[in-house]
Amino acid sequence: MPPTPATRDEIAVLALRAGLELGAEHFDQLVDAYGHLEQMLGRIRSARSYADEPAHVFVPTKFLPTE
Amino acid sequence: MAGPELHFITIAEASRRISQRELSPVELTETYLQRISAIDNQLMSFVTLTAELARQRARAAEAEVMRNGPRSPLHGIPYCLKDIIETAGIRTTAQSKLLADHVPTKDAVVAQKLSAAGGILLGKTATWEFAHGGPSWDTLFPPAHNPWNPDHHPAGSSSGSGAAVAAGLAPATIGSDTGGSIRGPAAACGIAGLKPTYGLVSRRGVLPNCFSHDHVGPLAWTSQDVAILLSIVAGHDPADPGSADVPAKDYTAGLDAGIAGLVVGVPWHWLEEEAPLTAETRSGFDAALAVFRDLGAEIRAVEPPPMQLFNDAKKIIAMAELYSIHENDLKTRPELFGDSLRYRIIAGGLIRADDYVQAMRVRRDLAIAMQKLFTTIDLMLLPTGEPAGKLEPVPHSSLFTGPSYTTPLNVGGNPALAVCSGFAANGMPQSLQIAGRLFDDAVVLRAGHAYETATPWRSRRPILNPQPKQAVA
Repeated sequence: MPPTPATRDEIAVLALRAGLELGAEHFDQLVDAYGHLEQMLGRIRSARSYADEPAHVFVPTKFLPTE
Repeated sequence: MAGPELHFITIAEASRRISQRELSPVELTETYLQRISAIDNQLMSFVTLTAELARQRARAAEAEVMRNGPRSPLHGIPYCLKDIIETAGIRTTAQSKLLADHVPTKDAVVAQKLSAAGGILLGKTATWEFAHGGPSWDTLFPPAHNPWNPDHHPAGSSSGSGAAVAAGLAPATIGSDTGGSIRGPAAACGIAGLKPTYGLVSRRGVLPNCFSHDHVGPLAWTSQDVAILLSIVAGHDPADPGSADVPAKDYTAGLDAGIAGLVVGVPWHWLEEEAPLTAETRSGFDAALAVFRDLGAEIRAVEPPPMQLFNDAKKIIAMAELYSIHENDLKTRPELFGDSLRYRIIAGGLIRADDYVQAMRVRRDLAIAMQKLFTTIDLMLLPTGEPAGKLEPVPHSSLFTGPSYTTPLNVGGNPALAVCSGFAANGMPQSLQIAGRLFDDAVVLRAGHAYETATPWRSRRPILNPQPKQAVA
């Protein structure tokens, strides 16, 4: 069962924590967009083993001086 | 080719004629400048024209070719650049009010390479804002139109690049592709466009959309022309952390070798179950598969992971990366963003670190699955998308909800080429997507060239006549 969608108040808290102080129009946009994001997040969240690496592991030689 | 049709010359043919001193770079450049002046008020494909600079470079190229011969297949040939590619001394805006006055001091690596090859920059072309938000009417410039029917869109985000090449305003251009932004406009405008293997072309100096999925690549009328351009712009760049250390090569070599014996996979469950094609697009795709069979390829079904998963992982990663790029502007001057771009990135600020890492783990799984699949096939074929619809506002959320046949190849990093595969009943181009193994860009281009040579679609061009400027909406 998918989690309950975040309420406007909950999104307001998340936005505050992110440092976003939005006017009413832009906050409405955020609420709408976040609804779509939540659905995508719900589809990729799953249990993982400890050692499952992400796609962006650090390759130190990529950062050698070039000039 | 008669004078009035010179604007439709291919890079390959122009190169041959310049090398034989049958075609003047000055004449060729003037042909494009005049055509841009005559018809681009219908298309809005250029946002900045560098006419005087182009004339200067054309004169210099002509003198050098006459003296020493051409230094590359692009010497003396005009091109344009998507307006997210930085150009020294030339405004680079990303179509955004945020960068209205941005004049870079350095060329992007791809711009350096094209200039060093003797190409002639005509100007900068329209894009969706920062290659992500569009089509938009509230950004620095209006959106570009489709040359096959200016009431239709040219897709995005390399919109102006696709429109300019199809309309005969330039024979060559460079765009960028984070989820389909080279292949979509190439498809909509009936031309060829390659998203090269991730890391094959330097991204340095190209304004980012999403670091982990950004690809820079060429668009032109034919796969052969795309191969010429790729040979010039590909190459290792140690200062781009995503750049691959692979040897430079000539991507036109072996282009005529054909595709007999190649194994071609088709992800039918994507096309029939997850995101079913319209009957007309399915029919066009079936006809393209028949051409591949006739050319000696073996067609078989393949089953990559669900398309939805590719799209979810990429979009979450992109939102987080885009937000990190634009955070300061979103907090201090959000009104300068177009509505579409702001909508599509603002929720990225609410993505938790664990979700970003989780999306990157999903990407790893998907990339492994994709490369494993490519051990059983040489190529994957699928439509690039549906033909371009009307140019009109779309819900900003369409980027999150619409299926994308192109994004899985960004997630995997595999090369993918869009080629024209016919025309719908309303005259808009159809497009076939040809994907290949990592760094097998030459095989992908070979297949595109074989398909184009076996079909009549490269002989059809859009018809555009000069219109009074006030007639443009």
